[in-house]
Amino acid sequence: MTAALTETDARRTAPPSDTPVIPPKRRRRRQRAFDEVPRWQIYLPLGLYLLFTLVPFYWMLLFALRPAGSTSLVPWPITFEHFEKVWNERSFGVFFQNSMLVGVATLVTTTLIALAGGYALARFQFRVKNAFMLALLCSQFIPGALMLVPLFEIFRNLSMINSLGSVIIAETVFQLPLSMILISGFIKNVPVSLEEAAWVDGCSRLRAFRAVVLPLLRPGLIAVGSFAFVHSWNHFLFALMFLSEQDKQTIPVGLNTLIGADSVDLGALAAGGVIAAVPVVIVFAFIQKWLITGFSAGAVKG
Amino acid sequence: MKLTIHRNRRGAAAVALTAVLALTATACGDDGSGGSGDEGSGKGEITFWDNNGGVRTPVWEKIIAEFEKKNPDIDVKYVPIPITDVQSKYDTAIAGGGLPDVGGVGTAYLANMVAQDALEPVGDRIESGALKGKLSEQMAESVRSAAGRGDEMYSVPTSANQGTLWYRTELFEAAGAEPPTTWDGFYAAADKLTDAKKNKFGFTIRGGAGSVAQALDMMYAQSGVDTFWNGDKTTVNDPKNVAALEKYVGLYKKATPEADLNNDFAKMVAQFGQGEIGMLQHNLGSYTDHVKAFGEGKVEGIPLPPSAEGSPRTIVSNPVDGLGLFKSSKNKTAAWKFIEFAASHEMNSLWNQEAGSIPANTDASGDAWISEVKPVKAAMESLNDPGTKVVQLPYYLPDWNNISKADSEPDFQKLLLGEITAKQFADGLAEKLNEAQAEWKQQQ
Repeated sequence: MTAALTETDARRTAPPSDTPVIPPKRRRRRQRAFDEVPRWQIYLPLGLYLLFTLVPFYWMLLFALRPAGSTSLVPWPITFEHFEKVWNERSFGVFFQNSMLVGVATLVTTTLIALAGGYALARFQFRVKNAFMLALLCSQFIPGALMLVPLFEIFRNLSMINSLGSVIIAETVFQLPLSMILISGFIKNVPVSLEEAAWVDGCSRLRAFRAVVLPLLRPGLIAVGSFAFVHSWNHFLFALMFLSEQDKQTIPVGLNTLIGADSVDLGALAAGGVIAAVPVVIVFAFIQKWLITGFSAGAVKG
Repeated sequence: MKLTIHRNRRGAAAVALTAVLALTATACGDDGSGGSGDEGSGKGEITFWDNNGGVRTPVWEKIIAEFEKKNPDIDVKYVPIPITDVQSKYDTAIAGGGLPDVGGVGTAYLANMVAQDALEPVGDRIESGALKGKLSEQMAESVRSAAGRGDEMYSVPTSANQGTLWYRTELFEAAGAEPPTTWDGFYAAADKLTDAKKNKFGFTIRGGAGSVAQALDMMYAQSGVDTFWNGDKTTVNDPKNVAALEKYVGLYKKATPEADLNNDFAKMVAQFGQGEIGMLQHNLGSYTDHVKAFGEGKVEGIPLPPSAEGSPRTIVSNPVDGLGLFKSSKNKTAAWKFIEFAASHEMNSLWNQEAGSIPANTDASGDAWISEVKPVKAAMESLNDPGTKVVQLPYYLPDWNNISKADSEPDFQKLLLGEITAKQFADGLAEKLNEAQAEWKQQQ
């Protein structure tokens, strides 16, 4: 029988919080120890790590911005010819639009469905809940390539081959299990008593959810949404297989077409790589604060 | 307080069941693959998948525009497919349906597609059409051999590539080295041009993806062994080939950068284009990249030298690119018109000029651009030289790609690192090939 959890049930079923409570004394001692460490011992390893991480990006920018045939280690004189080439001649403008559409649509559908499913997993007890959770976890072990042919047939028979909708559906389906598990973890962290108080005040379940629970889920929604966006933005396989028209292809497929059988235009490839990386960098720059909050708030609790 | 959800369970179950049945029904539909298709009216739209999409898109767009001008009743829908994934794209479409009417098909995966009954035999169409007698016999033979179905052809060859030794003329002049026209000259130049402390190297070796195919090029060219099979046994581990392999991999770290261990063609060509490396062995296809990197005249390409001075040249059959007509096409007449047009003298010449490779249409071999592009001219001359021996690689083996790539490339890296000997590597490769050949023969 399906039943909603009361606060008592929730206390009984919810795992204890993983966030350690540090006594103020110990916290002060830690802060003092941190203050006593010479700055260079912190910044030097961090700087080296940053350098190690940024070198490939510098290399990409170097190839994208310097003229073809140049072997200079600085992008000077700067040229935008590679960007013009990929954007206009190699249709990256169209690919960018398609990728953006797929990314945003996947973000919205994944977040909405995961929110509903995650709420059910967090707040209701039903007979096959554990088996369902196990199935969600197990689905993470199935590689997308294994499902290609059945998915291809299904979309073909639904006349959805060559439609961005097929990619959006496939991406959403593959994103959902993990997203639902993550969201249910966030919802479990919101005390049921808050919702119960809203019900007592006359709210319906939906209204209480919207007014009380949803605002508290912001870090979780941002984490799940950004994962859905970035994953679908970068994903290559479904777009390659389900889209067979040039004006429907996405950035990862476009990038691969810059590598020929026997030759590769490194300048164009690097410029394409920069175009592909920019939205991801922007997304992470804006959301990193919430993302970290989201993870530390018990995002991975089952 | 305990709340129960009021839900119409039967309704939900009915919706779920309907959805499952609908999806199952759609999944069990006719996949359209393997169907016999139709000759069609010769008008309307046909779809063409370019197997080297992106890089060759501009030239295909020109060819398609010309075709549509001459055939206003036919529209060609062009789909560029990245070369790295073309085989899986074809495999998915063969299994799930949705193949094009015409597709670019290389001999490296032709056998796999023929085995899945996806391609229409085109021998009769060639014989009764405008391409009769116009296609290079060497390339036609490669296509027949790769399909492994006797004399039948399953694609129309359009171009071929050939292993070429690229060298930087200015570095050779500065070091006072002779162009590598003999194997002794090659090894001497590799040594002379190397100054590892100054990051200068005589050669760059391919240690990553594609390493085995390239090593076979070098082995057979040096050894002069002119056939891949000796009865049912491969000649890969012939003592002459083993000796040649030993010499070739001996260049690693001595005359090449250490990072070559992971070189695929892109890294190798980029390294050649960026650094101070004297020589590179790669096919004609990278010509445009070299010219872009160094400018005209600063890089030369010559065929791999003969095994000994005065002896005939031995070259390994490089994959031949071609156009396939798909069995499932509903408009084969229009599709064939397009293939004939693309393989015609003018269009085939245009395509190969852009790609820097050898045209399959023999009428194109006398075109002016070929004499201007010296590496292509030299490759054509060596290919057409009656003395040249072409070692036909067994592209017809269904396991050829696995054996020569995934199965053997890690072993080649072990060989470069000195963890196994050249003989152990060659014996291991030979064993796999002999098994695959025996299995293939059994299935015939």
